[in-house]
Amino acid sequence: MAEMWISMGPQHPMTHGLWTLKIKVDGETVIDTEPDLGYIHRGVEKICEARNFTQITTYCDRLCYASANTWSHAYIYATEDLLDVEVPERAEYIRLVAVEIQRIASHLMWLGAYGPDIGNLSIMVWCLREREMMMDLLQELGGSRLHYNFPRVGGVKRDLPHGFAHRARAKLTLFQDRIQEYEALFDESTIFLVRSQGVGYAKPEEMINAGVSGPNVRAAGVDYDIRWAHPYSVYSELDWAPAVERSSIKGADCYDRYRIRIEEMKESASMVLQALDKMPGGAETYHEPGDPKILAKAPSRAAEGTTGYHHFEDSRGESMFYIAGGGEGRGKMPYRVSIRSPMFITIPFAAKCMVGYKVADIPAIMGSFDPCIGETDR
Amino acid sequence: MGKKISAAAQLKSAESLAAAISMIDGASAEVSTRSSGTQDRHTIKGSCTPASWRELAETLESKHGIDYCSMITGIHWPDAADKTWEVIYHLMRTGVTDPSHENGIVQPNITAAGSLKGGKVPLEIEISIALPDTRTPSVASVQDIWVGADWNEKETWDLVGIDFDGHKRMRRVLNPHETPVGYHPLQKQHKLRYHGFEEMYDDVQGFRRKPADAGKVK
Repeated sequence: MAEMWISMGPQHPMTHGLWTLKIKVDGETVIDTEPDLGYIHRGVEKICEARNFTQITTYCDRLCYASANTWSHAYIYATEDLLDVEVPERAEYIRLVAVEIQRIASHLMWLGAYGPDIGNLSIMVWCLREREMMMDLLQELGGSRLHYNFPRVGGVKRDLPHGFAHRARAKLTLFQDRIQEYEALFDESTIFLVRSQGVGYAKPEEMINAGVSGPNVRAAGVDYDIRWAHPYSVYSELDWAPAVERSSIKGADCYDRYRIRIEEMKESASMVLQALDKMPGGAETYHEPGDPKILAKAPSRAAEGTTGYHHFEDSRGESMFYIAGGGEGRGKMPYRVSIRSPMFITIPFAAKCMVGYKVADIPAIMGSFDPCIGETDR
Repeated sequence: MGKKISAAAQLKSAESLAAAISMIDGASAEVSTRSSGTQDRHTIKGSCTPASWRELAETLESKHGIDYCSMITGIHWPDAADKTWEVIYHLMRTGVTDPSHENGIVQPNITAAGSLKGGKVPLEIEISIALPDTRTPSVASVQDIWVGADWNEKETWDLVGIDFDGHKRMRRVLNPHETPVGYHPLQKQHKLRYHGFEEMYDDVQGFRRKPADAGKVK
């Protein structure tokens, strides 16, 4: 049969954003792929060169609409490395709570979008219901619903509000129960199993070499996680281990990548509950904004020639900021900000994973890698 | 408590790798300590000449288990004394191997993080390469060593204009495909409208301001 190239996108339900996947097909079989990105490139890196260190947090929130908090935190950790700021322990706990709740919200958004991709529409409504609870919690912290602008260089914007710990415990406990409903809905759905099992195999060594990280790697039976391998924050104080999935010999398939995110949500919920219990000063205490217990003094200028970077475990893999400071008397602003987006590296890999499968498998494979185009295109 | 790697083992591993990097002609490295949260991280900060980069990359991958290319950053320094272009590689050792299997059942790899030693300890490595003043900066590609470097190199060329020798299928990835040849937005001659911090607040409405590159061909 004749081979031909087909463009899927930029408007296609499979893409979860604005990009084009060009596929070369032989009949129904995919024999080559080429992703085409950049449709919503906003030049965040360039914009950051003309903003001071505090202003940039706002832009970093907008890198990914589904996981805003993790991105602003990734930036803040890199800036603290650049400016050499020591963060109060209580602020680290509050950040951990914010990031892990965001991770749950992000995975819920993914699950809610992945279900409809492969014929399970009910899950979307269920996931958005629980995501609403998480967003309510994050709204209490950051003040807005999607882009929180919560962390500050040296700490956090404000302390946990009165009653936050109580509401967070209630909601997360409820969520831990409800997650069983998702498992029942997915694991007993023949349509879901038929479409997700046995497609899109990827092996861990191959993925690491291709720069894929995070849940996608852990789905293939390895427990590599930046939160313990390159420790930051107070993760080492909590009792946790990264969720690992027992994959098949051929590597992780789409079903494994679904399972790993369910397990990660459980892990994150348990981490938040632990952090609320262990928080120095207690989760019920409230400090005014700017109190040294939650916000350390930070310099606003970076000396010339200083650099800072930080590897951060984002909901989708390893995100990273590299910041070169100072230069020509403009020390209030970075000279260069470089952003590593996990999905920018993963999408080309995911596209290669499709080779050999049918065109109908493409939404299942692409969706399982959790693409987010906002961060990809920056 | 939770998993964490031993800082002492990491320091030892970082020191031996830094010494090994310094053995290569034109390359040097030292251990730098980063503190964030509860535990210090010992990382490697190194530099090398463009000529020895390829050899260094091959050695790192084959002998020292550096299996992951995290990010490639290009910087344009038009006013710096010692360099005009700089490429910075962030590499990592993850120690990830395919899990073993028995009778068709895969046994997930659970790392005993506290007891990792020597060449197994996860490490962060930063290698910077200063490039001379030229209109066509380039450095050897490592696309074939770490597949993850492929799109990083595409992006660095697209945005900063640093080319990678031996890179296959170099193309625009973030800018439109029809972007003029030689236009790379992160080069410093392309000014942002709000380039001065003070200016931004002296004239908030922007009535008196024009883009710094107004009237120039972009």
